[in-house]
Amino acid sequence: MKNKKLMFWAIILLVIIAAIVIVKKPTKLGLDLVGGSRIVLEAQTTDTIAKITPDMMSSLQFAIENRVNALGVAETVVQQTGEKRLLVEIPNISDPAKAKEFLGETAELEFKKPLDGKYGATGWAPTGLTGKDVKKALISTNPGGQWVVSLEFNDKGTKKFGELTTKMVGQSMAIFFNGEMQSAPTIQEPILGGHAQISGGDSGFAYEEAKKMVDLLNAGALPVPAKIIEESLVGPTLGADSIAKSKTAGIIGIGLVMLFMLLYYRLPGFIADIALIIYSILVFAVFKIVPVTLTLAGIAGFILSIGMAVDANILIFERTKEELKAGRTLFTAINAGFDRAFTSIFDSNMTTIITCVILYFLGTSIIKGFALTLIIGVVISMFTAITVTKNFMHLLFGAGQLKHPGWFGIKQSEIGKAYEATETKKEKAKFGILD
Amino acid sequence: MSETVLHQHKWIDVVKYRWVWFGLSLLLIIPGVVAMIYSMVTYPTHFPVKVGIDFTGGTITQYSVNKDVSNSEVEVLRTKLIKAGIENPVIQILKTNNTISKAEKLNTGTIISVKTAFKSNDKTSEQKISDVIKSDYQDAQLVQVSSIGPSLGKELFTNSLYALALAFLGIVVYLSFRFQLDYAVIALISLAHDALFVLGFFSILGIFFDVHIDALFITAVLTVIGFSNHDTIVVFDRIRENCRFLAKKANFGEIINASVNQTLARSINTSLTTLITLGALYIFGGETTKEFVLAMIVGIAIGTYSSIFFASTLLDWWRERQENKTKRAVA
Repeated sequence: MKNKKLMFWAIILLVIIAAIVIVKKPTKLGLDLVGGSRIVLEAQTTDTIAKITPDMMSSLQFAIENRVNALGVAETVVQQTGEKRLLVEIPNISDPAKAKEFLGETAELEFKKPLDGKYGATGWAPTGLTGKDVKKALISTNPGGQWVVSLEFNDKGTKKFGELTTKMVGQSMAIFFNGEMQSAPTIQEPILGGHAQISGGDSGFAYEEAKKMVDLLNAGALPVPAKIIEESLVGPTLGADSIAKSKTAGIIGIGLVMLFMLLYYRLPGFIADIALIIYSILVFAVFKIVPVTLTLAGIAGFILSIGMAVDANILIFERTKEELKAGRTLFTAINAGFDRAFTSIFDSNMTTIITCVILYFLGTSIIKGFALTLIIGVVISMFTAITVTKNFMHLLFGAGQLKHPGWFGIKQSEIGKAYEATETKKEKAKFGILD
Repeated sequence: MSETVLHQHKWIDVVKYRWVWFGLSLLLIIPGVVAMIYSMVTYPTHFPVKVGIDFTGGTITQYSVNKDVSNSEVEVLRTKLIKAGIENPVIQILKTNNTISKAEKLNTGTIISVKTAFKSNDKTSEQKISDVIKSDYQDAQLVQVSSIGPSLGKELFTNSLYALALAFLGIVVYLSFRFQLDYAVIALISLAHDALFVLGFFSILGIFFDVHIDALFITAVLTVIGFSNHDTIVVFDRIRENCRFLAKKANFGEIINASVNQTLARSINTSLTTLITLGALYIFGGETTKEFVLAMIVGIAIGTYSSIFFASTLLDWWRERQENKTKRAVA
């Protein structure tokens, strides 16, 4: 009995710690709940890039991170998933179209020389000078009042640009951005200072156009072209609506289950209800510690795990009732009930965990969220539905004969009529049966 | 006869009516199978169910508006979209009841959902759709966009099949390790029974109510498999235990009857509590998980049936056959 009391206080302590964790730590909510944009980019192989290497991926990630940061939104996520994919999450975004535009562009700046050695009537050839040689880009205006992009080259770029302009006096030099010619000014004299300007041709740049080019150039070109292969956007109002609905559904669901347990299993049902509350507290604390990003599917996984947590108690109580009907004392009936139900609970939960692990490793992020919450739920339910309930039952009922069968929802007349299993000596010792 | 472990008057004799259960199972599964074959023949995708953009690729853009949208207005929208250069737009009108719409000033009532082909890095078609809708409905708010590339869709689909196959395999290996191989195989058949029923059910919904399945649906099927397996294991666990205590006093059929009846209250109560939580999710939960929850409700109902009536009687039938074989071999 002393051990049982110790266990009881340990459980209480655990619950208090969990409650503190819940209050102190913030909940991580998924984009489908707070609203935001989720984009998956895939690196593309080209004629020159036959294979995507891990190095390319990390520099791609770096470049994308720079661009996402340029959007000025807090708590963005850029993370590699799989061999050649990047997951970008931008919460609370105001202009999703801009973000999308921003992420997919390669931002390739190229300086080209004319094939015909004059004005490029027959086409353009690469010079080897590219966006990689640019140190900084700035937005400014030219004397005509048009928006232009000013470039400052790095040391290598300054040298290259100086040599090129020396050689090409009197010729045109074309500036290509993402494969599109922006302008092709004629070089009047060698430019050695390491500065250049891109004007938007005769019509000039719109401010947004110039600003975007500047941002992209400063963030750096993508080392490999990347394509958007998946995109989802959830408006903030829909997210808030989903949270409210999930809360309602969760509270009503748990409430009805608790009511059912109380009505059907009486006093043990009441204990199961308390175990269920402890279960919910512990699960949420673990969600916050891990931390699990809560999504709609994750919440569905949690609500489903409530059903499974209660299942363990139902199995145990049904077994205990049978033992009581067979005329056992309370102590042995409770012990035997728990022990006999355990193999069922363990085997069935193991198969649930097996399916969840498979889902976790093969699924997409929505499915992963569901699988993770369900695994956490199932593991914790094994603790609350078995250890916690058993402890409370023993403390509450003690060891004597069953005096009030109504507490278990059975009739006096049913006692002594049911199970007649013949246990081995070992099992009798385990359950504390004295014949 | 006095009431003992093996005979109580209110028990159901499941074994005696096994052909009824087998027949009922066939009756439950055949319409779905017919629907699936019909779908595979007639749908351009040749899938047994209607699949959403998760598997085929595509873009869905949703706007909420503050008034009802009639069918003729949908036609007008469609023509306008086509004129604006959007190819084959599929427009759907969804009704919602937003619980907090008033406080949040979210538009109530109607969501216009436009499905188009997937275009990567494409900002113009999104803009076009937005322009067309906002010209007709000034108060339209962008609620949701989801866009999946076709290659990713295919990959998702094959991955889902892998997941399903692996889950089945994992369960069989675990069960044959914890129980015996024939228990495992029969558990597997009963799982296939449940999965087939759920798929068939959604195939029928696809034909009559244009319900499309998404990646979450696969999750639902896998969960149902896990849950139904839960039920089956509880019954099998009881059979295993009763075999130990009663093997000398009773034949296998009697043991199965006793086991099923002893676990009956548990099976029903567990399904009931789970169905309660799922029911709450279905009625009060978010729109996006509705079909996912429905799939689980259907699956858990059939899973409970199959573990009580189908798996246990199938095990009995199988063991009886084996016994007859050995008897014949001895004779």
